[in-house]
Amino acid sequence: MIGCYDFCGHYEWTFAWLQRQGGNDLVQKYWAQAVGGDSQRHAAELIKKKAFVGMAEYWTHSLAEEAAGYVATAADDIFRIDMHECPSKGFLLRNGLEHYHDYCDHCIGWIGPVMKDAGFHVHHEHNHCGKCWWEFRRINDPSCASTEGKVAGQNDVRLHADWATHNQPLDVFRNAVDASKKNQPTELL
Amino acid sequence: MTNPLPYQDTKPVGAADFYFAINATFRFIRETLGVAALHAYWGDLGREYMGLVSQRWKQGGLPAVAEYWRAFFAAEPGADVEVTITHGSSESGISAAEAMPSHQVNRENASLVVLNVKTCPAIRHLREGKRIIDPGFCQHCYYVSEAAAQAAGLTVRIKGGNGSCRQIFCFSGAEESPQNMEDIEKAS
Repeated sequence: MIGCYDFCGHYEWTFAWLQRQGGNDLVQKYWAQAVGGDSQRHAAELIKKKAFVGMAEYWTHSLAEEAAGYVATAADDIFRIDMHECPSKGFLLRNGLEHYHDYCDHCIGWIGPVMKDAGFHVHHEHNHCGKCWWEFRRINDPSCASTEGKVAGQNDVRLHADWATHNQPLDVFRNAVDASKKNQPTELL
Repeated sequence: MTNPLPYQDTKPVGAADFYFAINATFRFIRETLGVAALHAYWGDLGREYMGLVSQRWKQGGLPAVAEYWRAFFAAEPGADVEVTITHGSSESGISAAEAMPSHQVNRENASLVVLNVKTCPAIRHLREGKRIIDPGFCQHCYYVSEAAAQAAGLTVRIKGGNGSCRQIFCFSGAEESPQNMEDIEKAS
């Protein structure tokens, strides 16, 4: 049996296996369809039905169960997550597991399509070391990503010394709806 | 003492909702790449991802197999699994024949590790979550474990499924016949 205790290990290994079978297109299809459309359909249903409140409900449950170190900030027009200790990337780093070139892409890979379908767009950055931030706004909201500290105050992960001091470059997503929109210039809505 | 699990987390048990993703992964591969590819995926998981587990089984024999599965199920939320080792006529209170009657294993003298899965944590959580369980879900236990076991000179036979089953591990050659896949129930 494969289990949920080391799920992130075989999940990450699976990305590499799928890439060998059908390249990155198959991996992205897996994130969108199997993860976003099947496994996490409870998230999709909550967000479609309750919008920002649904986002809060979903991530409060899932990130508590995964023992994440994060801060969520909600307002009328935005839901933001500052991830200070990603539990799944942390598991991989602690155990020296890296079969796929960018594990962190899986989140935008499933969250992007779910948000698009529910009528939201995504601003996101990750630093490949277990830290990232997310901003979800309604699709017709033309707002750019917030400036540092404006939405989350001192909880903004970008203000912390270990955000961008690593050798790994930040991956940047603006108005993204899938993992292919990495490091592209900001698109006008 | 070395942790029987090769990869450790900071929390004692896993997040049960990940069973949703495991089930969805099987369905995706079956529907996108076909059943043969799903079987290949499971085999590769057993040979590659579980390579460290196989190494420990090869070095530690059946006691290492038992230690692994005890630690494994202790970290799976909702699991109710009894793991025993039988040595021929038994040191565990039950004989091999009692442990696994008509289970394709030479029961007279073989040493076995028996997993008595009273409650499969994955099937339980998928049902609680009202998920459509991939019908071949329980077969993954055979394909993954057999691939990992073969690398250690072992083999596995499974009977039951769909929420509870018995799995036995023994040295290759102690088995009487190949795994009968019809002995593994469809999940629902």
